[in-house]
Order: sequence, then structure tokens, then C-alpha cells
Amino acid sequence: MHISVNGEDRVIGDDVDPKTPLLWVLRDHLGLVGTKYGCGIAQCGACTVHVDGKPVRSCQLTVDNVGNRAVTTIEAIGNTPNGAKIQAAWIDIEVPQCGYCQAGQIMSATALLSRTPNPDDSDIDAAMAGNICRCGTYIRIRQAIKNAVKSV
Amino acid sequence: MRRIGIAIAVVVVIALGFAAWLVLIPGPMAFANGSTVVLSDYTGASPTGVPKELAEADPIKRGEYLAHAADCIACHTAPGVQAYAGGVAFNLPMIGTMYSTNITPDKETGIGNYTDQQFLDALHRGIRRDGALLYPAMSYSSYTYMTDADALAIKAYLFSLPAVHAPPKANKLAWPFNQRGLMAAWNLFYKANERFRPNPSQSVEWNRGAYLAEAMGHCGECHTPRNFAYALDNRLKFAGALTAGWRAYNISADKASGLGDWTDEDLAMYLSTGHADGHGGSAGPMGEATDNSLTFLTPGDIHALVVYLRSVPSRQTDLPRRVDVPAPASYREGATAALDPRGAIIFAGACASCHDWTGVSPTSKYATLTGVRAVNDPSATNVAQTVINGVIRKTAEGMIFMPAFGDGYSDADIAAVSNFVTARFGAEGGHLTEKEIVSLRKLAAQQ
Repeated sequence: MHISVNGEDRVIGDDVDPKTPLLWVLRDHLGLVGTKYGCGIAQCGACTVHVDGKPVRSCQLTVDNVGNRAVTTIEAIGNTPNGAKIQAAWIDIEVPQCGYCQAGQIMSATALLSRTPNPDDSDIDAAMAGNICRCGTYIRIRQAIKNAVKSV
Repeated sequence: MRRIGIAIAVVVVIALGFAAWLVLIPGPMAFANGSTVVLSDYTGASPTGVPKELAEADPIKRGEYLAHAADCIACHTAPGVQAYAGGVAFNLPMIGTMYSTNITPDKETGIGNYTDQQFLDALHRGIRRDGALLYPAMSYSSYTYMTDADALAIKAYLFSLPAVHAPPKANKLAWPFNQRGLMAAWNLFYKANERFRPNPSQSVEWNRGAYLAEAMGHCGECHTPRNFAYALDNRLKFAGALTAGWRAYNISADKASGLGDWTDEDLAMYLSTGHADGHGGSAGPMGEATDNSLTFLTPGDIHALVVYLRSVPSRQTDLPRRVDVPAPASYREGATAALDPRGAIIFAGACASCHDWTGVSPTSKYATLTGVRAVNDPSATNVAQTVINGVIRKTAEGMIFMPAFGDGYSDADIAAVSNFVTARFGAEGGHLTEKEIVSLRKLAAQQ
């Protein structure tokens, strides 16, 4: 089995059950541990990756269902213009507290900017509501998204 | 004087005729053209027993196939309890709660002491070993069509299983329903006590399908509405009904509200795997029927069921034609439930990551909402039940899973998100209230 991850064609060995969630293939087989395991039932958003540019919960997407679609993870999102803007805005106001959910937050925020270049509060709510932050950094997340829009 | 007498007589005759029409209902296969014959006079391939693939299998294997086909396990296994040990609650509005019994071979609390004849009496006539009358929650009015040989093969299989000591729970029924003896009156009208009669003017597949659907799978027990006496009203055969708090949908041939717009391939796929692209998957009681029963049937038997289902006359009901195009990608566009903005907020947080704002899931075909009947049901009943109970299904392709939100969200929240989902992805938004969610929770509780 092959999947495209961060622009590279990756071979998935026969030892991997095709029904394995993409999350575990990324972390345990490809060594991409930036994507985090949170709840395992698509309710927290920590495992968010992009599949053809859309935010997808990798804990619920089995590796055989990825097909020919392009997977992008937190390790490579900075190579995209919106990803770079979001990451810079994140660092600028120091959004994370414990940081565990932040890879997923950044992936969802980047997908939001790609879809809606100038989001208002309700756009941010609709796009980010599925990403939970136990530390409650929501106010800084919202601010960083707005700052990223203004940055050049 | 004489004229008045005649007038009274006419009125009485009409009233009696109407009463008879109300009380007496046609049998489950009476819709089909052609007359039936006793099984021994039928010259086509046998519509009963196991399919040819299992003809040489040992009796217990054959019994296992038939027990799966009759889906005994569905009612006789409570969640988290050993198979066939009983204890499933049936909650009937106004009537009360009854519990299924232990049908493992335990001598004290199960059916270990049943003779062959006693087992047949229970299945065919609704009579317990001690002579007491069973309630028709035990679907003896369907199983009565099963042959003695098939019933006894099931018994042999059940007796091969480990005995489980599990005393039956006491029913909690209101008077007069707690008087078992009264079932004698019900049986007078609704107990068929006749074995399956093939119909030579129908195909061999049809006859096999009829046997599987009526004598074994008892589809009508959920999918056919009941009359005032709780008997299946076969004048509305397969037109759909509310059973255990879930809507069993119209599976007659009607194009908009039934199966008329399904292809044979989709129908076979849905029956054998519990999912067909464009129609969604089974959940709740139908999910159980799929995983416990239908997935075990051979392709030939699934085909026979499709042939039979196709022949059931069209009954139009109030379900709208399904919307089969995705909702807009942006949450700002598309229909939203006007009533309560909470629905969209909950959807954004808990549902959109798998179901997407379009309804077409980026993670799994099983999570796609577009075209699903439950989503296109303005009562929103099954959407609410799915939200409350989640989905856990074991299929050949692995587990299908959706979290149960019933404990995490309030009744008002569940009503709001169910109304939103039906409005955004279906033909017409629901109007469920907090109170109705309370009632749906109670009806679906299995313990």
C-alpha cells in the first residue's frame, strides 16, 4: 500500500492492517509524531491532518480509505503560505499553554484560512468548534487567526 | 314497523361487517397472486430448510444458520449478557415493560427441559412448557410458518450452547395486560397456527424469500403497522412502524417513501452488509438485525429476500422523497433549523468533523448523511436515536463506530441537533421537542 504524505510517496508495509487509523500509521510507522492522539472518537480534534486540503480527524480515517488523496501533517504545514502565516501568528502571541492540542488547532485554522481568507467570529466558531483545548486558549486562538489574516 | 326492523337489521349487518373488517386481517402472504399448496404438494425446489451450500452440514451447523435467519439472538440477548440468556426489555406505551427469557439449555431457568413438542408449541402456538400463554412479543404469529424440521434444528443448535443460569425478570405490565389468560382471546383472532404454504404461481426465489422473510426473519414484526389489538395489519404490509422507539421504515415498493427507488444491487448490498452507498447504513434494531442475522445469509438467500421484498405492493406513506445531493460546503449556506441555533452550534463541535457540512464524510462512507432515509425522515426519530445511542456495528470490513451522545448532551440539545441535521441534509427539518427526546430514550432502553 502507498499513501502520499507531505508530498512524498510513502510505502506502508504489509504488517499494517489496512483498517488501521491513519493517525497510528503516521505516528508508529512513519515516525510523524507531531499529530497527537486525544480522544480516539473524533471529538477533540487533536489528531487533525489535511486530506486534499480539508481538515480530517486521522483517528477515524482508516489508512486504506486515504486512497490517492494527499495527506499533509503538522510537520509540513509550514511549507504552505497559510500554514506559515498561522504558525507565525501562533508564535507571535504565544497561543499554546500545554500545547497538546495545538497541532490540531493549527491544522484546522490553516484549513479555515484556505477556505475563508477573511473569517469573522462565526466563521471561526464553525471551523474551530471541533478542536478542544483543555487549557482554554480559545481567546488567543481566535486572536492569532485574526492576526494571521492581517499579516503579509 | 317492518321497515324500521329492516333498517335496524341493515345497520347491524354493516356494523358487524365493519367490526369484522377491523378485527380480521389478511395473512402476511395473502397479497400475492395465485393459490397456495401444502409444502408436501409443492414441486419446486424446497423453499424451507438451509440453502444448498449447507445441505451436507451437520445438524447443529444447519440449526445455527436457521437460528441466525430467525434472529432469535436479537430479542433473547440483553446488552452485555451471555448470548441467548434473555433479559431484553420491551417497553410498550400504556401497556408496560416485558422481558425476554433465557433460551439457553439451562434446566432451571432456560429451556433445558423442553421436549421437541413443547418447543414446537412455543414457536408455533405461543404456549409455554407450563401451559401458560406467551405474549405475542415472542413472534409466534410469524414463527408459526416455520417447518417442524427447521424449528427442531434450531432447538438442536440452542441445546448445543452452554447453559446459562439466568432467571427471567418479572414483567411489569398494567392491568388487564398482566392477565396472560386473556391472550386466548387474542389468539382466537390472530394466532394462525399454520405452516408455510408455498405459492406455485410465484418463482422458486419468491417462495424461498417469503419463507425467509415471514417464517424466519419476521420482518413484518417491526416493519408492518399494528392494529388496535397490536396485531400486524397486513393491509398496510411493510408500510413502516415505530418499534422500540425507532422507526422501522416503509419497505414496500413505493417510489418516494419505500424501496421503489432502490436498485436490486443496493438492496442486496444493504441487506447483506448493512450499508449501501447513497442510502447509508443500518443502525439501532436494524443494525442488530444485520449483524446478528442478515450478514449470515448466503448470497442466494439474500437474492431471494430481494425478490420477495420487490413483490410487496406499494404503500405510500408520509415519508418524503430522499434528497440525494450534498448540502453546501459552507455552513452559511443551505437550510438550517430556524427554531434553535443550538443545533448548528452542536453540529459544528461534535458532528462536522466526521459528517462535514456537506453531509459527505471525508473519513468513512458509513458516516455520509446524504441520501440516508433517517435523515430524510421529518420525524427525526432515528437521527435522535442514533445521536443518543451511537452506532457500534461489527462488519466484515471492521467496526463501524459513532459515539453515543445520550449521556453528554441534554434532551433539548439532542432535539436541536436532530432538527438541524434533518433540515440541512434531508428533505424537511424535524420539530422534535425536549419532551419527545425523553420519551424516545425510554422507549429504546433495552434494560
